[in-house]
Amino acid sequence: MKIHRLHFFILLIILTTGIGLFFYASGNRSLQLVAGITTALAYVAWGIIHHALQRDLYAKVVVEYMLMGLIAIVLLMTIFGP
Amino acid sequence: MWGELHHLLIPHHTNNHRARALHIDALLLYVLVFAIFNVSFRLIYRIHPDILGYATDIRVEQLLTATNAKRQAAGLSSLELNPLLSAAAAQKAQDMFGKNYWAHVAPDGKTPWDFIIANGYRYTIAGENLAKNFSTSTTVVDAWMASQSHRENLLKSGYRDVGFAVVNGVLNGEETTLVVQMFGAGNRLAVVPPEGFVKPSPTQVVVSQTASQSAVSGESQSETSLPLGFTAAYRQPIFDLPTATRGVALVFGGFLMALLMVDGWMIAKHRIVRVSGHTIAHMLFLTTLFISASAILQGAIL
Repeated sequence: MKIHRLHFFILLIILTTGIGLFFYASGNRSLQLVAGITTALAYVAWGIIHHALQRDLYAKVVVEYMLMGLIAIVLLMTIFGP
Repeated sequence: MWGELHHLLIPHHTNNHRARALHIDALLLYVLVFAIFNVSFRLIYRIHPDILGYATDIRVEQLLTATNAKRQAAGLSSLELNPLLSAAAAQKAQDMFGKNYWAHVAPDGKTPWDFIIANGYRYTIAGENLAKNFSTSTTVVDAWMASQSHRENLLKSGYRDVGFAVVNGVLNGEETTLVVQMFGAGNRLAVVPPEGFVKPSPTQVVVSQTASQSAVSGESQSETSLPLGFTAAYRQPIFDLPTATRGVALVFGGFLMALLMVDGWMIAKHRIVRVSGHTIAHMLFLTTLFISASAILQGAIL
């Protein structure tokens, strides 16, 4: 349970950093997109490492995290507009 | 009907304890649909920007009225629209588009004061506010008022004149509407920066260091009006496609979040063990996306 909390604490740091970078890049959409993609990649990496350490990592789980990351990126691009 | 919805939205033994709408194939479908959607609307926008573009209505007279309303509400005098400051603002906007930067100081070191002086406005104090990608004049002024440094500029009692430029162009490869607001208060003495002139922090008020050399007099110049294309950004497309697509993306994000909340609640309630990603982690990730989206949905000020 303690390790579980530590993992989620790390996730919160990753996501908060992502938000910080996104706001820091305010006004520059290319940089914001890079921040968004980086955060999504970090999230996928977190998911894989977390489940590997929990010994419940399966291909299905990896694909799920990757698809969540991709959904975030396509939604971000849609919100950016043309 | 209810059975199908239940299967689609609620974790149950019939859907392997995960809403069908959250299965891998459904997630893949969302990615593909939004990817195709993105490519399509970008193509359509390129072909018909006037029919399916952003709705924009920013005008100098509206900016002036809104600025003076804020000053009057604070018990300050109204500012007068000065054509020299407006010309300086227009040049600054053109410079930003030409050299592709979004800053108070140009990459070549040119400051707002250089534009003001070059246009013959003699100042004792001056300031500059910038904004981009807003859709109305009111939202621009409200955004400046919400930022302490811009608000201080806007409500500086020493200013007498103001100039605006509203210009459309491409900045960092992106269609952009720039708003440049330049403040000033002139005197009877001309101002030319002396040698060793320290370039000031742009949004701060500048007090000129010397007034000993001659320059073109702001007061003696005949009033010049800005050329067309610097006074307003007005576009009312038949369909505001970008705003509509943002709405679709946000509604879909909300739908996904609701699905995950129901999923998390059901799994915790029934203590179900299954092979899948963490629902709470996905919810935190989506929340990050929503918070970040708020930085996109508003324009930027500097």
